[in-house]
Amino acid sequence: MSVVNYGTREITCKIVYYGPGRSGKTTNLQHIYSQLPEERKGKMVSLATETDRTLFFDFLPLDLGTISGFATRFQLYTVPGQVYYAATRKLVLQGVDGVVFVADSQSRQMPENIESLQDLHANLADEGLDPRTIPLAMQYNKRDLPAGEISAVEELDETLNFRAVPFFSASAISGAGVFETLRSIASMVLSRLSAPAPKES
Amino acid sequence: MAAAEKKGAEENGGEFAEFMADISQEIAQRVESLEPKLKPPPETKKATPVSQDSGLIPEWENVVDRMIEDMR
Repeated sequence: MSVVNYGTREITCKIVYYGPGRSGKTTNLQHIYSQLPEERKGKMVSLATETDRTLFFDFLPLDLGTISGFATRFQLYTVPGQVYYAATRKLVLQGVDGVVFVADSQSRQMPENIESLQDLHANLADEGLDPRTIPLAMQYNKRDLPAGEISAVEELDETLNFRAVPFFSASAISGAGVFETLRSIASMVLSRLSAPAPKES
Repeated sequence: MAAAEKKGAEENGGEFAEFMADISQEIAQRVESLEPKLKPPPETKKATPVSQDSGLIPEWENVVDRMIEDMR
């Protein structure tokens, strides 16, 4: 859980980009990384196969510097989308504060989107997190593809967005919608920021 | 403070700077709203049990008894 620590004056939040394989999760992180000023660029860790599929996960530590006297860090993760990396997805979800679900707008990918969303709900529940309340933003990616290949945003939203959470059209490859999505999930996570429970003596 | 940080971020330009500006404000507000909850409640001093009207210490007899007991 995201915590503001008044002792060490630190705020740390973990955000996970979830979605089916090849929906553009890693591309989201790559765009964010490309926009970071040099002094804030840490190392983006990416474990990919030879065919550029995420093998384990991507990790981008986003050091926002000192804000209102607090050292603020966002840790951005992606999960491997392929079905057979279920164990990795569960592992990455541990301690998550907010989720961005990156859906592939291509009409033929709708079943994969649904399957991945169900997988997310099951894994959150396994982690003791309530899928109905955890901060969540939907991103409908690949809007740059020809209109004949992609579903309408309304259709995607009706099929996938059961909770009616904020949703964003995006083309992660060009960066469109990437920061809008990040801003939304960050805002939701921050609104749930809490102080650590006082220690009993 | 957040306003100054926002101004600084805007000067840098770019998507990240805009993001930083928004987030800085949110964090500032959130931190301020949480801070009072963390302050311990003020310590209440135990008042000497003085009777309101007479100015006498109502537990005085007990105190005297304890002193006599101690002397024994």
